[in-house]
Amino acid sequence: MLSYIIKRVGQSVLVLLITGLVAFSMFTFVGDPIDNMLGQERTQADIDRLREQLGLDQPFVVQYYRFLEQAVQGNFGISYRQGRPVGEILLERAPATLELALVSGIFAILAGIALGVFTAIRRDGIAANVIMSVSLIGVSLPTFLIGILLIYLFSVELGWLPSFGRGDVVDVGGWSTGFLTASGLKALILPSITLGLYQMTLIMRLVRSEMLEVLRQDYIRFALARGLSNRVINFRHALKNTMVPVITVIGLQLGSIIAFAIITETVFQWPGVGLLFINAIQFVDIPVMAAYLMLISVMFVAINLIVDILYAFIDPRLRVAA
Amino acid sequence: MFRLTTALALVLGTAATAEEFNFAVTTDPQSMDPHAVNSAPVLGFLNNVYEGLVRRGKDMSIEPSLATSWEPIGDGEGWRFNLRQGVTFQDGAEFNADDVIFSYERASSEEADTSSWFAPVSEVIKVDDFTVDIMTSAPNPIFPDSIANWMMMDSGWAAANGAERPDKDQGNYATLNANGTGSFQITSRQPDLSTTLEPFGGWWGEVEHNLTSVTMTPIQNPATALAALISGDVDFINPVPIQDAERLQANPDVSVIQGIEARVIMLGFDQETGGEHSGGGGKNDMFLDPKAREAVAAAVNVPAILRTIMRGNAEAASQLVSPAMRGFSTANHTPYAFDADKARMLAEETGLVGQTIEFKCPNNRYLNDEAVCQAITAMLAQAGMDVNLDAMPVSNYWPELRADNFDMYLLGWSPGTFDAEHPIRFLGSTPNAEKRLGSWNFGGYSNARIDELLPMIQSEIDDTKRQAMLDEVAGIIQDEVAYVPLYVQPLVWGTRSNVELTQRPDNFFILRWVTVN
Repeated sequence: MLSYIIKRVGQSVLVLLITGLVAFSMFTFVGDPIDNMLGQERTQADIDRLREQLGLDQPFVVQYYRFLEQAVQGNFGISYRQGRPVGEILLERAPATLELALVSGIFAILAGIALGVFTAIRRDGIAANVIMSVSLIGVSLPTFLIGILLIYLFSVELGWLPSFGRGDVVDVGGWSTGFLTASGLKALILPSITLGLYQMTLIMRLVRSEMLEVLRQDYIRFALARGLSNRVINFRHALKNTMVPVITVIGLQLGSIIAFAIITETVFQWPGVGLLFINAIQFVDIPVMAAYLMLISVMFVAINLIVDILYAFIDPRLRVAA
Repeated sequence: MFRLTTALALVLGTAATAEEFNFAVTTDPQSMDPHAVNSAPVLGFLNNVYEGLVRRGKDMSIEPSLATSWEPIGDGEGWRFNLRQGVTFQDGAEFNADDVIFSYERASSEEADTSSWFAPVSEVIKVDDFTVDIMTSAPNPIFPDSIANWMMMDSGWAAANGAERPDKDQGNYATLNANGTGSFQITSRQPDLSTTLEPFGGWWGEVEHNLTSVTMTPIQNPATALAALISGDVDFINPVPIQDAERLQANPDVSVIQGIEARVIMLGFDQETGGEHSGGGGKNDMFLDPKAREAVAAAVNVPAILRTIMRGNAEAASQLVSPAMRGFSTANHTPYAFDADKARMLAEETGLVGQTIEFKCPNNRYLNDEAVCQAITAMLAQAGMDVNLDAMPVSNYWPELRADNFDMYLLGWSPGTFDAEHPIRFLGSTPNAEKRLGSWNFGGYSNARIDELLPMIQSEIDDTKRQAMLDEVAGIIQDEVAYVPLYVQPLVWGTRSNVELTQRPDNFFILRWVTVN
């Protein structure tokens, strides 16, 4: 068992290292940060000096090695654009993304399950059919378009909700939260819907088809024959059995909510790590790009590692194979 | 009780008053250090916080700021600046000649991005606490014009915070904090998120604005910024996308302010003999002949570009500077005329037909840059020229130009000094790293007479003689078609209709001219 875990951890570290190498080899194609850092009246000497200072005159493998050397000591370098430590910037931005992901995740799960159950039970009703058709639009429209439509409707036309940003935030022990102010909560509504809409439709359609499947089972008919109320049949017997595959999918979608956040954050000028990353690409802010990509790959690799190890606990055959 | 109400008001978000002003910018100033980055977003913003010896007024003319007056010394050995007395920095320290000396040393240091402003300066001498002599190695009539963005920093403050020199690489205290003498002071700074300012109570000047607090938020997505303006979440955005300007004007809550920027958009050409091309592979001298460049000039229908892509918001350019600049050559004010037949004839005569022109273009640097390049590509094709357009983000663009990977390219130039000498120095001179000349002359255009005239222009005190030489240079550049000037880039700002402000051609947003009704 121990050797299995060690092997898996080793593989994960290897994957991380390769991801980093690929990322660093790509940075050359993103462009040259020097022109963004120097003004119109710079000379070639200024360009060469700064390039040397930043180590950009070195091949990417050397740059990568230097990054790793610093990163294992917890130092992610200084942002070219902001002149501040990247670690500090990421910590400052993380709460915005995590809060947004949390709220849209909850929205997707609650609304998805509720609508899924509703459309399964009333599958011939008009309302259910309307919901199913509208959900198709929700899946097919790109996120940025949905975001802009929502802004147009609720901010520009109706003026109910803010068009961008997080509203007022309160600092609780270094964590800036938007949950404690009215404007912070209002600001969460549109981005959360935009970000969670796709996952919501996914969950809704999954719940619906699973539920329809379950409702055809013999034990449901038997329950009906026993004279149980519809409510008990639908929610105690059918829904519970529907949830097994749904929970698996929800778990898998967690990571993609954070990944999809990049687009939503750009549309709503949501000050999270996704927006930071997009701006870093435009400026060729290599330290920020590197740290973000490494952070995301660490996250995904860690999730996979945990899943692998859990499988090993559940399924003894894997242990033997290792 | 008072504190409780304030806290409550903050929580409920009802503390807003009419004079609270929110504005959005596309680029957050990357530094609060006035000497670290010589770029419009940084200098434009810091003009509200820091001040120089001189400043530009609403009409771009030079006016007294921290210097009350200045006069040339002797026969042009330098300039004497008489400093304003009783000026304090925002931390309370007094402004005097020592700060000018310090700011000179700091801004002209190797670590600074502004050192080129001081290339003509040989020495800065403190005469007394409120008099400073800036000596130049040659007579320099436009020196006061060239230092309008040279901002004064307190020597004591910089020393106390370890920021005696700018630090572009690691950043220092002055990257995140500011202490100027300007009319606004920074009360909080969250890079990339928001920056708040308040009027500086101890400012020496007469207050014109009625703002009590200002918040600047970067919004990169143009659609989001537009929505924020229409819904009233922000009071000012810059720029308004050109294609939305007309629609926005119809909205009674919002007004669109249009003007002409100082930036001239032009085409440049590879004019070096035997230049290497990665795209074309090998040597390509198609634009060595001025007639080949003239073919391009005749083929591009600038009025059509302005009408369709710029929606009538820009005006055609005849030379490297716009008419609003000092030293504009009225003698050479006629832009190249569109003449498809002439273009076709010249293209055939010079052998352009049958070759592929590698045309490089940025796609996120100037207003609608890629669309303009596509239109030019189509226009050249109509005149029989085969163009391979390659549009790319600006971060990839400059390295490509520096590597000479082009036959033709698009460039915008905004003269920092607002004088016609500026583009001659950077675009018209033969590239010479040692003399810091021609550093943006990617095509390697070279004319001995222009190289000879430039130092004479720089040191000529007599305005008439100076203008005659500027006219001569503009004439040479036009005759030889060194560049094909296309148009002067428009400025399109959007504000709430209850806001009054002044739009300056350098695209600086000056808060002390803003009033909210």
